[in-house]
Amino acid sequence: MISVVARLLLRRALLAVPLVFAVVALTFFFIRLAPGDPAQILAGDAPTPEFLAQIRAEYGLDQPVWTQFLAFLGKAVTGDFGTSLYTRQPVFTVILERFPATVLMTGTAMVVASIAGILLGVASARRAGSHIDTLISGASLLGYSMPGFWVGQLLVLLFAVSLDWFPATGMEAARATYTGWRHVEDVAWHMVLPVTTLSVFLLTMIARFTRAAMIEALDQDYVLVAEAKGASRNRVLWHHAFRNACVTTITVIGLEFGAVLAGAVVVEIVFGWPGLGRLFYDAIYRRDFPLLTGAFMFSSTVVILVNMVSDIACALLDPRIRR
Amino acid sequence: MRNTATVIGAVLVAIVGIGVVCAPLFTSADPLALGPDRLLDPAWDHPFGTDDLGRDTFARVLYGGRVSLVIGLFSAALSVVLGMTVGMLAGFFGGALDEGLMRITEAFQIVPKLLVAVVVVAMIGSGLTNEVLVIGLLSWPGTARVIRGRVQVIRHEEFIAAAEMSGALWPRVLVRHVAPNVMSFLLVSASLQVASAIMSESFLSFLGLGDPAHPSWGLLLQQGQLFLDEAWWLTTFPGIALAATILGLNLLGDGLR
Repeated sequence: MISVVARLLLRRALLAVPLVFAVVALTFFFIRLAPGDPAQILAGDAPTPEFLAQIRAEYGLDQPVWTQFLAFLGKAVTGDFGTSLYTRQPVFTVILERFPATVLMTGTAMVVASIAGILLGVASARRAGSHIDTLISGASLLGYSMPGFWVGQLLVLLFAVSLDWFPATGMEAARATYTGWRHVEDVAWHMVLPVTTLSVFLLTMIARFTRAAMIEALDQDYVLVAEAKGASRNRVLWHHAFRNACVTTITVIGLEFGAVLAGAVVVEIVFGWPGLGRLFYDAIYRRDFPLLTGAFMFSSTVVILVNMVSDIACALLDPRIRR
Repeated sequence: MRNTATVIGAVLVAIVGIGVVCAPLFTSADPLALGPDRLLDPAWDHPFGTDDLGRDTFARVLYGGRVSLVIGLFSAALSVVLGMTVGMLAGFFGGALDEGLMRITEAFQIVPKLLVAVVVVAMIGSGLTNEVLVIGLLSWPGTARVIRGRVQVIRHEEFIAAAEMSGALWPRVLVRHVAPNVMSFLLVSASLQVASAIMSESFLSFLGLGDPAHPSWGLLLQQGQLFLDEAWWLTTFPGIALAATILGLNLLGDGLR
């Protein structure tokens, strides 16, 4: 078992590493592509001549393009994404400061979306063609057609502005400093609306694909055999059919993770959540390009890693994929 | 059931299409003209209210749809052409070319396209052309995979062998014999791509990367965000238009499948 995991990990890593390199190369290419002097782009709108010279020397901008690329690559893979033009802190430090808030919100949303999406997808497939199925499928198509930030805005209008049930912005109460359990409660209270918003998209994707995979699985001979043996309806559904369908579910979660993270960016803006999304927004607004490209390289790497994990999970669940 | 869904989709797309294309028939207000009546509630004079600069939201939603639809249509066209080319070449020739093209396709699928788009547009500048290029160049993998799968099946049909034996070169076989057989798939793909491109555009605009001279639905929603607790109409109406369009196109795409 351990050797299987090790082999899988190696195989997937062989795919993931070039991708991370490609992301860094792409970023370098964008900086070169942008109109104007790359030093100017990395140094901000009104740099002092000294700072400009320092940037030029640091990135070897007087050297040939290849040398420049290697310097950029060397810095990027060691986590040196340069200095934020606005805060003057290392970009990597700024990112790590914000990352936990995004992980908290995105992680919770993914758990909520997975559980609800799987339950809805299975419920839908089990009575395919019924009114319930139509209702669930229709609702998930609607959820899939609404931009995440607009869902968030509607929830704020309804539950924060009109009803005043939940706070509209922030991660914790601004005026009180809670500790211990009260603090956890406070953060959880602030998370309700953003997590619901972020869950909608992934939930509908999971429900749609799980439904399709379950309908296919329920049509297989092994389901017939299990039923003939007298297995209960629930056992057939979950033990026999879903164990096959869940490979599709996990693949969808992996493939859509990039979209979820992008969704988190806009949802964080709607709810003033202090995570990576706000960082993107501020970086765009302040034209802080080292911060923007750093946040991009960082989040792309996270997406590639999550994809790798979901690939490995699928292979462990389904021996046919292992090869 | 399926037909009902398709009809609903077609009706939604038609309503939005007519409203947006024939905008001057429905309102005489200028979407960019400032007015004295700021942040007015929806009323007869201004059915969707006004924004903080006194501009008529109804007119802005109708004309904003033009921007969203134009960007959606053009970037979808670009991505469909790209995806079809890649998919047909990979599916038709197989082997090393297929392997190479599919690795590239997978790479494009894994890398978060919206974040790439944000970085590119932030750095090379916003504007309709840049948005169309960026969204189009990033959204082709889905189409490529569908077309490749279909072409792999067609590849072994007798009529392809017949065309090849009668001396047709591969470009002719691809264009005259393979392409017509993937058209139905392309239609589905195109309608889903337009929906997804409009969604991507709204994402960019919401992050402040839209073109203020050509306010799209996404840009209206970004402006609405600032007045969320005083002017619900600024986010509600552009969002309904946006969601109705995307839902309509998705229903149509599902129905055509």
